[in-house]
Order: sequence, then structure tokens, then C-alpha cells
Amino acid sequence: MKLYTYCFAESLNGLNNPPRGVSGAPVRLLKIDGIAVLASITNGFRPTQNDFIAHAAVVRSVFKQAKSILPFRFGQILTEPHLRNYVSRHRQAIKANFAHLRGCAEMNVRMIGTRENAPPPIVNTDKPVGPGTRFLLDKRREFRGDEWQAARRAELSEWFTEKLGQLKRDEKINVIPSDRIIIARADHLIERGRIPDYRAKMAGAIEERPEWRFMVSGPWPPYSFANIELEFGSQFGVS
Amino acid sequence: MSDFDQIIVGEEWDSSDLSLLETLDHVLNRGLVIAGEITISVADIDLIFIGLNVLVSSVETAHEVLRKRETE
Repeated sequence: MKLYTYCFAESLNGLNNPPRGVSGAPVRLLKIDGIAVLASITNGFRPTQNDFIAHAAVVRSVFKQAKSILPFRFGQILTEPHLRNYVSRHRQAIKANFAHLRGCAEMNVRMIGTRENAPPPIVNTDKPVGPGTRFLLDKRREFRGDEWQAARRAELSEWFTEKLGQLKRDEKINVIPSDRIIIARADHLIERGRIPDYRAKMAGAIEERPEWRFMVSGPWPPYSFANIELEFGSQFGVS
Repeated sequence: MSDFDQIIVGEEWDSSDLSLLETLDHVLNRGLVIAGEITISVADIDLIFIGLNVLVSSVETAHEVLRKRETE
């Protein structure tokens, strides 16, 4: 038997009015070592837009009823022994993440701005260079690009800290430069009861930066904070 | 998704399209991963293609927005 998985949930013994899951399958609650797992029985399927929406709807439904959840990324199909083995090996990490996310929701900020302070070109590329030099120059360019992105992330984080103060319990920032613009995304972990404060502070902050374009969305289940990175990331290269 | 909320500053976007894009971004790009290799074998190339489409259209839309602003 294979299980399509939606999320882990803390202290959940039943689910009121769960929506249908992927492929219209019923959603079941399993308890493994005291941890609730929401899943549907499946034999595999070709995903459609309705399946993505069904996954999101199930996760959102559980999010409203449980103290804390760890949403799965779309498409996780596991055998029951594989799932039991994972929970048994990562039980403490799952519980620690439940505690970190308890009572919180994720808010997202997308920003688009004109690219400024781009890293200067390192070399005149019109000059012919050998393959070794080219390799080192590419590495150097890559390194400087990483440095530049890290600097932009730090600037944004400082700005958010100034504007939001203690409201953000956790934060992840990604910066994607292209030729002329910067697209940045910030994910904030916010206590559910303080989301109106967050919205008010973000609205004020946005007014201070008319040169950027913003979109704030949420509250979302904490998808961006669900990975157990230390125990899993290095094994499978998950970001 | 009835309680989805957003603040949009600037040009008018279709909020239903944005809600769907945001939902896809969350369920496809984020969340706990236990078995990445199984995800690919189940979803096949379609899942990767859809993910790339979302990213490409987002970047192109961003360029288009900036182009419009510069010509205004």
C-alpha cells in the first residue's frame, strides 16, 4: 500500500470535515509514534492542477485545526513502512520543529526592484583567455555573485528587523538578480494572533519604498519552515 | 483558500491568478521533502515543466512591468 502524504500534525486525533485529497481520494489520519500523519491511499497518478489545489486545501484544513503542522511538498508518495521508518528516525526533529512553528503562520513578501550596486565586471571578456583562466574567472564571478546576493539578503533582513521588530519569529530571504531587476522574496514566521500587526507594519514599510514593488500574501501554512534541514538536507540536497 | 489575503501595490493584477500562482509556488517549491526521487517518478516530467513555467512567467511578467513603468 502506498500513501500520498499531506502533512505531519501535532496533537491531532481527528479531522473535522476534511476536503477530498488528490485524485478525489479520502484523507486519512494515521498515528505513528504519537505523530499524526495526514495521507491518502494511492496507486500513483498523473498530477493535474486540481491535485495541486487539493493538496493545498487538505494542508490548509489541517492547519486550521492543529496546534502545529509540517506541510509536505506536493508529490510525496511513500510506502507505509518507509513512512514509519522516517518518523521513527526523525521523531525528535519533527517534535522540535512542531515546537518552533506552534501557533505561527507563514507570511510572504515578494519584492521587485531595479538592480543597483551590481558587482562590477571582473575582466574584459573581449580578450582571449585560456580554458584554465576562463574557469577561474567564472568561479570568481560566481563567488562575487554569491557575495553580492548575501549582502542584499543581509540588507533586506536588517530592514525587516527595523520595521517588524520582534514580530518575526523566523525569516528566510531569497534574492534572484537578473540583468536589470532584482526579485526578492522574504518568508516570515508570525504568531497567528499578531498577523494584523504584521500587515499594518508591512503596509507602513511599503510606503517608505515607492521605488520597489511589493506583494504581501498570507497567512499560509508554514511550508517554507517545514524542512528538517540539518538531518535531511545534506543527504538529498534539498534546499 | 477563502482566507487568503494580500496587499498589492501598483498595477492591477488578477487576484485569482495570483492566488493560484502563490498556491502552486508553495505546494511545488516548499514544504517538507522525504523522498525527492519518488516525487519525480510519480510526477514525471510534467511536474518539473509546470514548476519551470511558473518561474519563467513570473520573471517575464516582472520585466514587462518594469518596461511599462519606463515608458510611462
